[in-house]
Amino acid sequence: MIEIKNVSKIFKKWNEKKKAVSFYADKNITFTAKEGEIVGILGPNGAGKTTLLRIIAGILEPTTGQVLFDGKSYQKDEIAIKNNLAFLSGNTKLYDTLTTYELLEMCAKIYQIPQAKIPKSIKDISEKLGLNSFLYQKVGELSTGQTQRVNIARCFIHNPKYYVFDEATTGLDIISSQIILDFIKKEKAKNKCILYSTHYMEEAENICDRVVMIHEGQVLFLGTPKEIKAKTKTTNLRDAFFKLIEGGKHE
Amino acid sequence: MNNLWIILKKELREVFRDKKSLAMMLIIPIFIPFLVFLMSFLFESQATTDITKYNEIGFAYEVTEIEKTLLESMGINIHEGTQAEMEQAFLANEVYVYVTKNNSEYTMHTKTSDESMYATTFMEQYFEEYKKVLQQNILTNANIDPDSVINVITLKEEVTKEDSYFASYMKNYAFLFIIMAITVSATYPATDATAGEKERGTLETLLTFPIKSRDIILGKFLSVSLSSIITGILSFALAFLSLYFAKDMFTIYANTDLLYNIPALIIGLLIIIIYSLFISGICIAIASKSKTFKEAQSALTPLTFISLFPSMIAFMIGMPMNNILAFVPFLNISMIFTDINNGIFNGIHIALMFISMLIYIVIILYIIIKQYKSEKVLF
Repeated sequence: MIEIKNVSKIFKKWNEKKKAVSFYADKNITFTAKEGEIVGILGPNGAGKTTLLRIIAGILEPTTGQVLFDGKSYQKDEIAIKNNLAFLSGNTKLYDTLTTYELLEMCAKIYQIPQAKIPKSIKDISEKLGLNSFLYQKVGELSTGQTQRVNIARCFIHNPKYYVFDEATTGLDIISSQIILDFIKKEKAKNKCILYSTHYMEEAENICDRVVMIHEGQVLFLGTPKEIKAKTKTTNLRDAFFKLIEGGKHE
Repeated sequence: MNNLWIILKKELREVFRDKKSLAMMLIIPIFIPFLVFLMSFLFESQATTDITKYNEIGFAYEVTEIEKTLLESMGINIHEGTQAEMEQAFLANEVYVYVTKNNSEYTMHTKTSDESMYATTFMEQYFEEYKKVLQQNILTNANIDPDSVINVITLKEEVTKEDSYFASYMKNYAFLFIIMAITVSATYPATDATAGEKERGTLETLLTFPIKSRDIILGKFLSVSLSSIITGILSFALAFLSLYFAKDMFTIYANTDLLYNIPALIIGLLIIIIYSLFISGICIAIASKSKTFKEAQSALTPLTFISLFPSMIAFMIGMPMNNILAFVPFLNISMIFTDINNGIFNGIHIALMFISMLIYIVIILYIIIKQYKSEKVLF
């Protein structure tokens, strides 16, 4: 289980008088994600999703609050948590000079997969994700879709317990997007704990068990898509989101 | 340790597969032999100026047969004429010195040009010889053995071998080429491994791996250091070989000792290694604060000048090494290298230099590891 407890993140930015001013990228965010569950983090660009997911992935530190993975925190168990975590964002880039095989081999070694098992692991993943045709090609020579498949393979190689996806389908064609969505569904069936951020509301409605709607760094609503639609009396998450923003403004 | 090795291997793969990084590693070492031979040739032509360039001497009086014989034996071309004619020839650079005579008083008319100065030195030698010939004739005519008067003392010269000015200049500058090669070689992979990784977006991937930031930064540091050590050793070998062959080709290297003994070679190599580690650390520390490759390269450009400037000043003014200077980075390594190049092995200076450089490297690494935990550096 992933527990996000009162997580806030303050950044500094420059105002028109060229003075540094603090602002909340995320403010008091609290929710949990259980095993076998896909929790969607929804919100428009600039809502604070990426900052939140970077904190969850251990790339950034929260200003206040904490993130727990089965009760473990980054302060004490960073390596143990990261050994069980996979992070994939739409902006995640890979090493262009390495071949697909070399990249997967490097990841397998980092995740301490025994040397003797590495070739078989790579072979199995390559067959599952259709990497065989470009396994010995440099990553820099691959198409966007192929690169994202290699990225999924990289996330999958150590069979993690937790997945964090940050707009992983942004900019991909319909086939590559579907490969990722199918992969996420399969991993959910294996009882994995998955956080999935997107600004495509329809996509979230399709695969998420629960959603956390974020706007301007704060949680607008937390619940199942059905609950949100019922509360806002709308038929889809997109309309629900706008209704929630309007509601917030009136309040 | 395992993760450190994985990161090092990844970084080395990136360095050795990147054409630009390879070019930066090899470009200056390849140029070193050309620079050594070209500079040796230029110095040689300056040091051994042909006699025919300044042997045109004017005489505003009638030169005697004795004088003519002596002047011709010294390779001097005699131009005779009136004082006005000689002065005109002198102003037109047809003669570089002209001599006037009033009884037994001779006056040399010279200029401050290089040719005139050389010609003056040459004529001074001639007048010494001429005076000796005249003295010998006077003594012989008076039935006195000239040797018993002129050579009352015997003067012998024992010359201690020392490098010529040009040879010593070349040896020091060959070392500066090595320093420059190492600095340039460190800047590119350091930029690529830090600001480049940030710009390409792969740093985020790296940070999600179960690897301590200490291992990430040490892996990067070691790969940059290794590429600059390779450049340094290659430059050292090429500079040494170039000077070795140049020694037989150019007379400016007569009496010059190169680093022929094993301890000098070992210390030379250790200096290259310690400098490579030091400069790699500095390059990573500076480049990791930049957000883009271009920004990092701009920030690192002054480093090439900073690495050379103190050494050049020390070479020019002939500054001697002392215990305090042994702590001054950049200056200490070049001064120790110059010392061992000249056969001076001061154990205290060498030890202080290595200890201080090791301390600087540890401090730099500590700063970089701390930097890599800061979000300001990462994003």
